[in-house]
Amino acid sequence: MDLLLQLLATGLVVGSIYALCAVGWGLIYGTTLHFHVAHGAVFSLAAYYAWAGQQLLGLPLIVAVVLAILAAALSGLLIDLLLYQQLERRGAIRTTVFISSLGLLIVVENVLAMVFTPDPLRMDIGVLHDAVQLGPVFLTWLHVVAVALAVAGYLALMAFLKRSRAGQAIRAVSSSPEMARTVGIDLGRVHLLTYALGSAIAAPAGIIVAMDVGAEPYRGTTFVLLASVGVIMGGIGSIPGAMVGGVFLGLLENLGVWQIPSEWQSAISFGVFLVFIVVRPRGFFGRRIQSAEI
Amino acid sequence: MPSASGPIITVQGVSKAFGGIQAVDDCTFDVAPRLITGLIGPNGAGKTTIFNLITGFLRPDRGSVRFKGEELVGLPPHEVERRGVARTFQHLRLWNKMTVLDNVLLGCQSPVGENALTLFLRPAAVRAQEARDRARALEVLEFFGLRHQAHELAEDLAYPEQKLLSMARIFATDAEVLLLDEPTSGFDADSLRRVIPIVRRLVEHGKTVLLIEHNMELISQLSDEVVFLHQGHVLARGAPATITRDPALTEIYFGI
Amino acid sequence: MTAYLAHYLVMVGIYSVLALSLNLLVGYVGIFSLAHAAIYGVGAYASALVALHLGLGFWGGLVVAAVAGACAAALVAIPSLRVAGDYYIVASFGLQVVLLTVFMNWTDVTNGHAGLPGIPRPRVLGWVVDTPFEYVALALALAALTYAICHRLTHSAFGRVLQAIRDDEIAAAAMGKNVVLNKIVIATISSALGALAGSLYAHYITYINPSSFALHESIFIMSLVILGGSDRLAGPIVGAFILLAVPEALKFLAIPDTVAAPMRQVLYGALLIIFMFVRPEGILGRARPKALEPPPVTSHAIG
Repeated sequence: MDLLLQLLATGLVVGSIYALCAVGWGLIYGTTLHFHVAHGAVFSLAAYYAWAGQQLLGLPLIVAVVLAILAAALSGLLIDLLLYQQLERRGAIRTTVFISSLGLLIVVENVLAMVFTPDPLRMDIGVLHDAVQLGPVFLTWLHVVAVALAVAGYLALMAFLKRSRAGQAIRAVSSSPEMARTVGIDLGRVHLLTYALGSAIAAPAGIIVAMDVGAEPYRGTTFVLLASVGVIMGGIGSIPGAMVGGVFLGLLENLGVWQIPSEWQSAISFGVFLVFIVVRPRGFFGRRIQSAEI
Repeated sequence: MPSASGPIITVQGVSKAFGGIQAVDDCTFDVAPRLITGLIGPNGAGKTTIFNLITGFLRPDRGSVRFKGEELVGLPPHEVERRGVARTFQHLRLWNKMTVLDNVLLGCQSPVGENALTLFLRPAAVRAQEARDRARALEVLEFFGLRHQAHELAEDLAYPEQKLLSMARIFATDAEVLLLDEPTSGFDADSLRRVIPIVRRLVEHGKTVLLIEHNMELISQLSDEVVFLHQGHVLARGAPATITRDPALTEIYFGI
Repeated sequence: MTAYLAHYLVMVGIYSVLALSLNLLVGYVGIFSLAHAAIYGVGAYASALVALHLGLGFWGGLVVAAVAGACAAALVAIPSLRVAGDYYIVASFGLQVVLLTVFMNWTDVTNGHAGLPGIPRPRVLGWVVDTPFEYVALALALAALTYAICHRLTHSAFGRVLQAIRDDEIAAAAMGKNVVLNKIVIATISSALGALAGSLYAHYITYINPSSFALHESIFIMSLVILGGSDRLAGPIVGAFILLAVPEALKFLAIPDTVAAPMRQVLYGALLIIFMFVRPEGILGRARPKALEPPPVTSHAIG
């Protein structure tokens, strides 16, 4: 029983990380319909920004983290501004944007590997490494921070989307770009904001993982895959869905370990994903999928 | 004059809502076989939506659509077409980078040539089928007056000819019921004169035609029956003369 | 020097098969797969295993490889293509990860990281292929066969349907074409062919291990298709000729191995981006690439 609770707890922690990633990716995908695999690059970059802030610039941890999140938000925004929007201006279609995104992901991750080597770069996180005991469950403070950040980030994002003008503009665009355009919303600006927000909310995920096990150049690829799986399982267009999808994936991976060797974790998640899209392609909270409007 | 053998398509109590909008509201009407039925109504009345609902591109929230007694609701679009109900699109959706001939050839069901297995295992049958399909496609093009443009790209045709091509395509499918979505919009007088006898000849070939049309003149000339749709609901049906001269309907139609 | 050239030509042959088969999916139908390297691996492992444990000959190995590749693809294609192209990207991404996990961890069968050595040379029609020249002939023959198969597929009524699906799948459905089934069929054929390349690879290098079949390999094969041109049949072959020369060029610049590998990847990634700006249809391509289908949800305001 204790083991089960422990696995549940770690599952929630891992799930929180996936959730942050998924919410960010889902926000971008739902609003722009870009299959933004370069989200993985932003994830990786955030980790390196934080590491560089602390280890190269000597900044205190919290400052390094905040700056890293801002830098990641800017990075995501620049990807849209300098790459996707430029392509679209030249008449690019979604496939073209996707290929460029894939190319960028590869370039960024491999440049990071060339500059910093593929070995993990560790950060000093001091007291966050200390264990904390909640009943029979052992976690580190870092793990607790991860869950807290996920909850806080989600609530903040939802509030922003519901209450602020900019948030409503994002929702209008994700609902119908044509309608949004006719009421005078600047799609380009909304996209940039979406990228900044989506990247900002995913950045903590990359940073926390780096704080835990070190920054690595290729991790982003795995995480963006899992983010997209989480979004699909949660239902495209639903932020709560992305949150649930991410947490679900984390729980699945960790509870799976209970019975199945850990190397097979990804196989399990993927298998569940396949079953999911057969049984309920729209995911937990997605709208019913039907043929495209003609 | 409705034929004695009963309607070929029955739309019964069909409803469809999008977001908060009721696009189609308890819509009920019949389509008689081997006649031309016109579907008219003001903009936004739900006419194209009805086409989508009949052909399986959308699923109704409620109601049923029957073709010769068989339920169509729930079938995917390609199955609906295979049963014998084909439709054109308001925005054409031609395969622009393909030739006129290829566009029509795609209408021919080529069970041997379109199957990856038989493609390799029965080359002779595939060749024979292709030859037959080509001949047939050329005949269809002849029927629509497009034979001489068979090898041009679809995108290079003039607009009225593109519309004719979209009709030719579905005619080649041998479907019994042809749903034409605004087949003459954007036509000048000349093109109209060209297309009217073609549509009539479709019926002579045993087809049933349901067409969405805005041109009242055309409706009066072409249709044997008219169904008037407003806000997703059938308001009236009957002979063209009766419907088009009804002042109440005219008011609704022109929004006066 | 001739041995070197022979090796280059064999690899061009193998990668031509990979790129031609991926192009069926990406170029002709417009479906993105990130799993082609894993399929390549399935073919290699399947063929190697039946040769090592069952003593099955070359032809048997080819058949087993093709069937294995087809099944792996179908497993993913059937559920995801029913929904939308974007689902297939994710599913293929996942398939790539899972298959690699299987290669690395099902040690009883695949021997994990250590790989499978001692794969026998192919016996074709009686004689054993083991000189470089003979391998070149075999590789080019396989490439030619793949080209012929792709040609037959694309220049036929079936090819017409594929092109119709690529250019407007809604119109295709309205004309009675079973879009999903056709996509599944082509995904299966594409993978069967890709797996054949794996079989040849296994019998050529006579040793395989999981690292040859990872995601970066899928990206590389994708680059071949993109670079060469997805709209023309010969495009991927041209891509293979060009991109396979790159590692050799890099070797001339005496770059250390640890840096060379990521540097190659940076080059491929950069090529992808540059080509999207300059020439999205590739070196030989003609038409504009087909649009990815987003999942057809009618409206979905975020929230």
